[in-house]
Amino acid sequence: MEFLVQLLIAAVEMGTPLLLATLGGVISERAGVINLGMEGLMLVGALTAFVVMLHTGSPILAVALAAIAGGLVTMLHGLVCLMLRANQIASGLALTLFGTGLSGLFGSSLVGKTFNPIEDIPIPFLHKIPLIGEAFFNQDILVYFSYFCAVLTWWVLFRTRLGLNIRSMGEAPEVCDSLGLSVLAYRFWSLVVGGGLIGIGGAYFSIAMNPYWVDFITAGRGWIAVALVIFALWHPLKAMAGAYLFGLALALELRLQTLGLNVSPYILKMMPYFLTILVLTVVTIKNARRDIKVMPAALGQVFFRGLKN
Amino acid sequence: MRLYLEKRDHIKAFSRFPVLTIALLLAIFMSFLVLWSVGVNPFEAYLIVGEEIFLTDYGWQDLLVKITPLLLTGAAVALAAQMKLWNIGAEGQFHMGTFAVTWGALNFGHLNTFSLIPFLLILSIIGGGLWGCIPGVLKSRFGVNEIITSLLLNYVAAAWVDYHLFGDWRDPASNNFPITPGFSESARLPNYFDSDVHAGLFLALFVILVLTFLLKKTRIGMKIQLAGDNLDAARYSGISIGMLTLIIFAVSGAIAGMAGFSEVSGVHYRLQQNISLGYGYTGIIVAWLARNHPLGILLSSFLMAVIFVSAEILQIEYGLPISVVFLYQGIILFTVLGSEIFVEYRLRLQKIV
Repeated sequence: MEFLVQLLIAAVEMGTPLLLATLGGVISERAGVINLGMEGLMLVGALTAFVVMLHTGSPILAVALAAIAGGLVTMLHGLVCLMLRANQIASGLALTLFGTGLSGLFGSSLVGKTFNPIEDIPIPFLHKIPLIGEAFFNQDILVYFSYFCAVLTWWVLFRTRLGLNIRSMGEAPEVCDSLGLSVLAYRFWSLVVGGGLIGIGGAYFSIAMNPYWVDFITAGRGWIAVALVIFALWHPLKAMAGAYLFGLALALELRLQTLGLNVSPYILKMMPYFLTILVLTVVTIKNARRDIKVMPAALGQVFFRGLKN
Repeated sequence: MRLYLEKRDHIKAFSRFPVLTIALLLAIFMSFLVLWSVGVNPFEAYLIVGEEIFLTDYGWQDLLVKITPLLLTGAAVALAAQMKLWNIGAEGQFHMGTFAVTWGALNFGHLNTFSLIPFLLILSIIGGGLWGCIPGVLKSRFGVNEIITSLLLNYVAAAWVDYHLFGDWRDPASNNFPITPGFSESARLPNYFDSDVHAGLFLALFVILVLTFLLKKTRIGMKIQLAGDNLDAARYSGISIGMLTLIIFAVSGAIAGMAGFSEVSGVHYRLQQNISLGYGYTGIIVAWLARNHPLGILLSSFLMAVIFVSAEILQIEYGLPISVVFLYQGIILFTVLGSEIFVEYRLRLQKIV
């Protein structure tokens, strides 16, 4: 029982950065823009938050600046793939390289530095629920913030005019354009807001999960989030389910190691990546069978007025 | 006032070059800003870098050594790109190549070099090729996004190599460093010109030559080109796209695996961590800058090799981390991607009255 409780707590912790990044991906892909820069953006967010936390000790400021840094760096991707109409996949890869390099360059002097991680705040009554109470309602503020973001993203995307417009940009940009909506502006700001959320996801690594700096602190989680966007069928609430499922897998990897199981940690390390590939395959097959077309129809397409591509 | 893009009336045959030059100059300017932001005088730094690379024997050797794996990974990614497939997994296929070669070299090191070297080459082809088949099968059978699967497999391959380095392959004499014992003489590629340049360079050039021939002059090459131009047309003409996808990924992986062979048998003579400085990822940029053209691959591999060697010099002279390579690569890819539109369009200012 105690093992299970600890496992669930770790699952939510591991799932939180994935959730935040996946939400960011959902927002920009709903608007029709692929962001393969997630891994780099998370690293930028992680670095920014770490530096701010180290110097000011203020988690709020750290998270805010991580979001701003994530958004600003994403603007490069937006500039290149939206304004200058370049290939979104290549531009996203450039963003990952850029972010990885940035965090490596400015992070090298931080290796080994540390501070106290942000504290857990139990929510009255709710955290006493057996089994899941500790996991979901006795966490740090960023975990609660991620719940809020998931619900808010769902509400905006599916219950407001703004969300309808954003989703239309991913389905039929030509129609939006002829209605007088600026495709570029909607796509750009959806991408940037998404980048901000991805940055916060990265911040979770460096100020909440393990508050000491290591190179490549996100270890490929950004790419798992890219897959999670598809797994979640571009839906913010399903993203929650996906993120915690993967959180559970990552937590299990960690817990099995501490249990003294006789498996090499390097073999266990492969499991989340294999799981991602497996899940992605199953989801792809299922969607093809049921002929589900949830993927935004204009995803990844360059929009150019008067030009069909 | 409003900025807008206007289509050029006619595009000159070589109008790509001035645009590309401006993009690269912008990238260099941005790299100045990067150096300046970490307190390095960029003028002084690049003077040192330029001298060390181009005016010393060691610089040229190092360039040619660094070009070798990039030619191969670049060719691997470019081959997949011919069919508009993204092989982001060259890094992992490279690692699986090094893994297979190391297995062969550690177990069959007693063979003579004339049988061992071809054997190791075949092992690297199998190792990288099979690893490339995973995203290939998933894509062709089930339509799974090859970008994500091939990328995730990079992390798996790196962990697989680590598993052996920290386990059964660790050299007992290494003071617990995660390195394998050195390869026997017969498992090492010969060097040329009294330098570090090794046979891998000629292997790489040969592979590019063969690929170019296959793509331009054979039936399967034509099929690949057709499928790359128009997938539906190719499908209707009876070409099996699934089969072609699988073949492309297998061959692409095999070429990346050969890069692993060339590094482990030509440079390090043992398996160790960080044997790839991101050669697989760099292959993506090499292929993109080259627009999949064989001559372009030579040029862009050269450019990327210059960046690797520069980063090494910056590391030695100024203590900058090697990950500055990624930053430079990101900058170059961004500026080149962003510039491409200006080949066909020009920026205009429109006055709104």
